[in-house]
Amino acid sequence: MKKSLTVPAAAVVLGLVLFAAVLTVGDRMPQGGVGLCAGLGGALIGLGGGRLFVPLVSRGMSPEDRREMERSERDERNVAIRTHAGLDSWYCTLVALWVPFVAAMIRGETFWIALCCAVLVLHCAFYLFHLYRWTKKL
Amino acid sequence: MTNRIAQLRKERGLSQAELAEAVDVTRQTIISLENGRYNASLLLAHKIARYFGMTIEEVFLFDEEESK
Repeated sequence: MKKSLTVPAAAVVLGLVLFAAVLTVGDRMPQGGVGLCAGLGGALIGLGGGRLFVPLVSRGMSPEDRREMERSERDERNVAIRTHAGLDSWYCTLVALWVPFVAAMIRGETFWIALCCAVLVLHCAFYLFHLYRWTKKL
Repeated sequence: MTNRIAQLRKERGLSQAELAEAVDVTRQTIISLENGRYNASLLLAHKIARYFGMTIEEVFLFDEEESK
């Protein structure tokens, strides 16, 4: 399970640079720049940090514990659990997205109606895309 | 689907952890298989059967009524 840590480490560094830019020159940035940099920076730190965390922790483990962790990573029951959990959370997110959509409809807020619609469509489009991808694969 | 994993394992004096390591799964998977909560994939069924020196049909008992 040897994975290169260069890309996640670079993502974390880039995320930190973006945050530093917000803190130092944020007041001179164009409108929306602060939000974009902070959001992108946070996403990069989150994604990169998540990928860095497990390999870094596993380096401090004994070979036996590391083998156990790797086995549990590829264990077919764990894979099935992750698959079911992923699908269930997709359904939960779909239901949860209807709440702001209906609220926006009741309040008559066009921007939020359009935004909720776009997110709902994207959510379903990703699902259909991955259904297609896995149909081709399996 | 039922199976004889627990019986075969005990006959050979193996722990769940030892069997899990031999077939490259976690101990929790062996526990779930033995309890009948999880059905093994064909690959895992093959690994387990081969480990016990038996055929898949001898280890895993397919109940036609249950599958209906």
